[in-house]
Amino acid sequence: MKSGRRPVASTSSGHGRRVVVTGLGVVSPIGIGIDTFWKSALAGRSGVTALSGFEELPLEGYRSQVAGQVLDWDVDRVPKTVQADRLDRYAQLALVAASEAIEDAGLRMERENPHRVGVIMGAGMGGMLIGEEEFTKLYRNLRPNRVHPNFIPMITLNSASGIVAITFGAKGVNQTISTACSSSAHAIGQALNTIRAGQADVVIAGGADASITPLTFAGFCSLRALSTAFNAEPARASRPFDRGRDGFVMGEGAGVLILESLDRALKRKARIYAEVAGYGATSEAHHMVIPKEDGSEMAMTMRLALADAGVPATDVDHINAHATATPIGDPVEVAAIRHLFKGRADRILVNATKSMIGHTLGAAGAVAGIACVLAVQTGLVHPTINYDDPDPACEIGGISTDVQERPLRAALLNAFGFGSNNAVVVFKKVPSTAASRTR
Amino acid sequence: MASESAVATRIRAALAEHLKKDVSKIQLQSDLRKDLGLDSLAMIELLFKIEEAFDLEIPNDDLSQITTVGDVINYVEQRVGTPAGSASASRPAAVAAKPAVAAPASKVAAPKKKESRRA
Repeated sequence: MKSGRRPVASTSSGHGRRVVVTGLGVVSPIGIGIDTFWKSALAGRSGVTALSGFEELPLEGYRSQVAGQVLDWDVDRVPKTVQADRLDRYAQLALVAASEAIEDAGLRMERENPHRVGVIMGAGMGGMLIGEEEFTKLYRNLRPNRVHPNFIPMITLNSASGIVAITFGAKGVNQTISTACSSSAHAIGQALNTIRAGQADVVIAGGADASITPLTFAGFCSLRALSTAFNAEPARASRPFDRGRDGFVMGEGAGVLILESLDRALKRKARIYAEVAGYGATSEAHHMVIPKEDGSEMAMTMRLALADAGVPATDVDHINAHATATPIGDPVEVAAIRHLFKGRADRILVNATKSMIGHTLGAAGAVAGIACVLAVQTGLVHPTINYDDPDPACEIGGISTDVQERPLRAALLNAFGFGSNNAVVVFKKVPSTAASRTR
Repeated sequence: MASESAVATRIRAALAEHLKKDVSKIQLQSDLRKDLGLDSLAMIELLFKIEEAFDLEIPNDDLSQITTVGDVINYVEQRVGTPAGSASASRPAAVAAKPAVAAPASKVAAPKKKESRRA
């Protein structure tokens, strides 16, 4: 650790190259930029506020009136080389997060072989804001020829991954993964496999969504998925694992991680946050919006991810839980953790990033992934706020409203999506690197 | 069932249609989840239909009161006032495609909420 790097095997468990995280970028309701985000997260600050409203639509018509909004967003943050008004809000957020991550990684695109740099982004809803505006306009004025020419390029789900690649000149694989709430966790996992397979050396991976829009927000209200009991106290609305939880809080944001092969990162003396050690992906083949109630499928996904990583379950010290704060979802996830880790379950530090920012859908896996990576790097597990009255149905020892500190050998990022799909990513501490710039 | 209210008849018929079951199978004491097999999404769909048919807003807080067919009927009868319930029997307005999208604001049912928030 003191003098140089210990030689680390560049392959493990027969998967080809090892992959690490060397850059992070975020746009979130508790901060734009990693430093602000991480400070807020450790301080347990809520980014959930009163819903700002949707122009002439009466707010009282919405059952849920709170959201994790990026209130300090300024479109001028979008790189000047890009015409921001050609991008939906979600793609703007993605671009700013990607821009920070690339800079944070010290990635100099002019020095890269552009065909070895890929982009894999998650998006659950994508360009809904422009979509809703254009649908409404069309039905109001009944003039198809007045639908904006940029409507299609803005609403296509890959507009974020596209603009990131275009802006930074990344000419390798360019893909968008849309698996609802788990989109960007799958994006990280697919980025891992892409680098392992030798298809790229670097992948800009993450996700974004900006679904606090009149129709989409109403749709989630109609699904009765959103919290409605704390409209007068927004900061208390997102309460994973708490007895008073009554649904998730809609959030918006973007998170981006730079993944690259360990060899390459060592060679260019990059700061290494953590290793992306494994990835599990499954379908429950069960129900569009309800998880299998005994948690067995989620447990299986965690087991597969650990097997892929070659990490024994006994090495898992931390889980960043999916934990949306719906009455049904949280107990299932805890049941899954108990199912897999048995007697050790209560000794794993568990937290829920959504307690502070709400559910950012396509960004959720990436933003929580960033929190998970920083936890592995620093040994600091951010609090789960509003966990005031532990619900016995989902009680587990390692949840705290305070920061918890402990060296973390390995950590899981859990993400479960509508459409009956699950993703788990394993992050591992990388010993001995020039790595440790602490935040 | 001679004394069944109009609301009860409508709800039982609607449930029978929703579940593709004979209306005789839809008993007041039937548990929506355990006996009729509704999962949580099917419950929400059912309540959505009832809200539309009776021009109601059912807040999330009230869902816990509703477990049987009888609970649905009681709830609706309480909310629409008298068991006559035929006042809103005319078809809901959401049939014409154009205005449904063009004027979303006017579609929002008058809220019963006390505290309303303006941003």
